Parts: sequence; C-alpha cells; structure tokens
Amino acid sequence: MEIMRLVVTGPVGAGKSTFIRSVSEIEVVDTDRRATDEALLIKKRTTVAFDFGRLQFGPDMALHLYGTPGQSRFDFMWDILIQKAHAYILLVAAHRPHEFREARRIMMFMKQRSPVPMIIGLTHTDCPGAWDAANIALALGYPNPSRRPPVVTVNANETASVAQAVIALVQHTWSGSLAATS
Amino acid sequence: MTVTGYLADFSLPELFQLLEQGNKTGLLTICTLADTKTAERYNHHIWFSQGQIVAAGNTLDQRGLMGLIARRGWMGDNAVSRLAQTCQINTPLGLCLKNQGVLTAEQLKLLFYTQVMRQVCALFALPDGWFQFDPKAPTPRAEMTGLIATATDVTLAGLRALKDWAALDEKLPAPTSALVSVIEGKPNLRLNPNEWQVWEFTNGTMAVADVAKQLNLPVAKVQQIAFRLIVTGLAEEMPLMAAPPPSSLALDDAPELEPSIASGKTAGAAPVSASFLQNLVGFLKSKV
Repeated sequence: MEIMRLVVTGPVGAGKSTFIRSVSEIEVVDTDRRATDEALLIKKRTTVAFDFGRLQFGPDMALHLYGTPGQSRFDFMWDILIQKAHAYILLVAAHRPHEFREARRIMMFMKQRSPVPMIIGLTHTDCPGAWDAANIALALGYPNPSRRPPVVTVNANETASVAQAVIALVQHTWSGSLAATS
Repeated sequence: MTVTGYLADFSLPELFQLLEQGNKTGLLTICTLADTKTAERYNHHIWFSQGQIVAAGNTLDQRGLMGLIARRGWMGDNAVSRLAQTCQINTPLGLCLKNQGVLTAEQLKLLFYTQVMRQVCALFALPDGWFQFDPKAPTPRAEMTGLIATATDVTLAGLRALKDWAALDEKLPAPTSALVSVIEGKPNLRLNPNEWQVWEFTNGTMAVADVAKQLNLPVAKVQQIAFRLIVTGLAEEMPLMAAPPPSSLALDDAPELEPSIASGKTAGAAPVSASFLQNLVGFLKSKV
C-alpha cells in the first residue's frame, strides 16, 4: 500500500477538524489516546488527541490526513506526525489576528522538525474583519512574496474547497520533488 | 488593502513590524477605547512612507507641526502658515523652513523627537485600541519635518521605556520556548548590554527560562527582551518539544490508524511515486 501523509495544522479554531472531515471518506477518527512509556507506565500517562481521516483512491493507494493535537503545547505527538508527513498545510483564520503569532510559532516548530513542503490555507476569509492574504503572509513573517509558500483560500466546510487546497499542497510537494531530482 | 483590528489582538510592535517589512505607505490611525471614567476617546495618527515613520499627530487638520513650532516660541502660528504657502508642494514643511533659514537642523531634530518619538513611544503603553491602516491616505507634507525614523527604532525605544507590560503579556514568548536568529551574522541595531546577552542565546536550543537562569535575570525580563528581538526582526520564537516521545502509544482501539504512526517511531516518510501523485490529483479534481 502506497500512502501519502498530509498534516493539517494551525491554531485552535482554524478549522483543522472540519477540513479533514470535509474530505475524508471514513468517519474522522478523533483519537484520544494514552501515551504510555513502558519505563514509566505506572506514573506517567499522557492523553493525546488528534484527528485522522483517509481517502482511498485505488486498491493500493491512499491519502492519510492528520490534524495536529488541539492542545497548545508541542509534545511528542506533534513530532511523530510531522516526521511522518510528506507535506503539511497551516490553516489560519483570516479574521483572527490574535492567532497569527500562534500560527507563526507552530510554523517555526514544524520547520525546525522537518523540511517537508508546506502551504498556508486561509479560512474564514469572508468573515468581517478578515485580513487579506498579503498582509497575513506579512504577519506570518513572509515579507518577500517570491519567497513565501503558496497561500490558498479554503472553506473548510466545503469538500470542493478542501479538495482544491489538498491539490495545491500535493502539487507543491510534487514540484518540490521534481526540483529535487532535476 | 486597509488593515483593521484591535491592539489587544495584534499589538502595536507587531503592527509596526508588518508595516515596515511590507514597505507600507499610508496612515495608521489608533483610536483609544473609551475611558471608563471620562468616556473620552482619542485618535492618534502615524504616517508611514515605504515602511518608515515620517510624521505623527492627534489631528488630521495639517496644523500639528505648525502648532509645535509655535509652542516652542520659534515662530507665530500665522507666520508659519504664511511661509508654508511658499513651500513647494512636495517638500516637507520642516525641510522647507530649514531651507529658508527659519529653522536649524537641531530645531528640526527636536521637533521630530517631540512629534514622533515621544508621542508614538507613549502609545506602546496603551492597553487596547482600535486601529486602521489606510494605504490610500495622502502624505501630509505640512506635518512632516523631513526626518524619518524606522519603525524598528521606534519600537525598540518604545518597548525599552515601557514600564507596564500587561497589555503585551500574551504576546511574549513562552518561558519554555527558545529563540532562533533569523538574520545573517550579528544585528546592526544598537542593542543594549542585556539585549546582546540574550541575543547570544538565539541558537534555538535553550529555553527562555533557562537563559534567564544563566544570565541571572528575571524570566519576565528575558521574555520582554526576547519579544523586542522578535518584533525588530532579529529573532523568532522557537517552541521546544514539551515532552520526550514515549516508547509506545496505546492505540489498540484505533485499528484505522496505520502502524507507523501508532508505533510512535519517527523514521521519516517513505517517498511516494509520481504516478501516485498523478492519480491523487486526478481523483481530487473529481471532487472539485
């Protein structure tokens, strides 16, 4: 089975779970698991939670989507997900400027852990007070338009819009892998 | 496009950084929220040109700088007004008056300090306020001395002088985060000794709390210095992993999850083939 893993990340409330639910063919699994360390089994049990969705498009081909845990601390689960990912999308709610710094923190964490391609997905762009893509990119630390990742607008509630965002992410990954081999 | 919001959501230092890095030209208006006692609101205006601060004032009547000159006793209001009419349309008033020998370079510097540095730096203490950046606002020649300040310099001066950091508390880097430099080599800014000390730890490995311990400084003070380094474009907050990976995850009741994730091992992703990507894009296009 050939599997591509995409991670969906972003601040709480950016639309990660909805995004995965909109495109997954299975009921999204909201894993709420105990992380157990055998050596510390008795005293240490940590709860981790993340969303998992799947899209099977051939007998031996599937796309797996993982949403990063909702909690704000960056724990081992984030690390496992990003290390296993082929690419990720950072979702940012365009109408919540107070979350831009958190989005920046997440991006720095992800970049540090893995060099995989990423794109930025802007949600809630039709809400009052929403910032435009150029200013959000600036707020996320990308002053140079030619040196920033692709930015797409996405309605996490609509399958077609989410599919379009995933296409953008896959194509960005694809062009990156072509550039790497040429 | 106009940018609007509240300082409690997107702070003034962040806003200045955005305007500078975006090389923005236009007018930033900050409207204080109603005072609980007096119910009064105040407007503050800051003009930007190519990301740099060129003027500031409390009104849009183009008489702020003239008023400052008059208050200093260097010239009467009417005399400045008359001279201003003789200035070329694109020349800042201050520069025009200097060219006419009415003001000296030192006087211009003093005017700029009063008009921009003092007024704008005071705004960093605002607990909240509504802001709007209008990129279509005209450049106010009558408010301009002809001198400019980078938003970075104003931010650095404003935050160094800030006594009450409560309004920026949420914006400060977490004590558990590290700092990482985002520039090549050393900063060109004039950092103070404590800022230099914290700068030495911008290698992304040591948590802010540990830096504080190392430097024998309060954690809050190091957080504030770190924030200054971040909003002046020298460093970035780098969250560190909160807990080491466990030896296994209890995922036995989630059979849908593939074993490589469930195992918790972080060996990287196996590459996918070009035909896989082609098929995937084709499949997704059917959903659009």
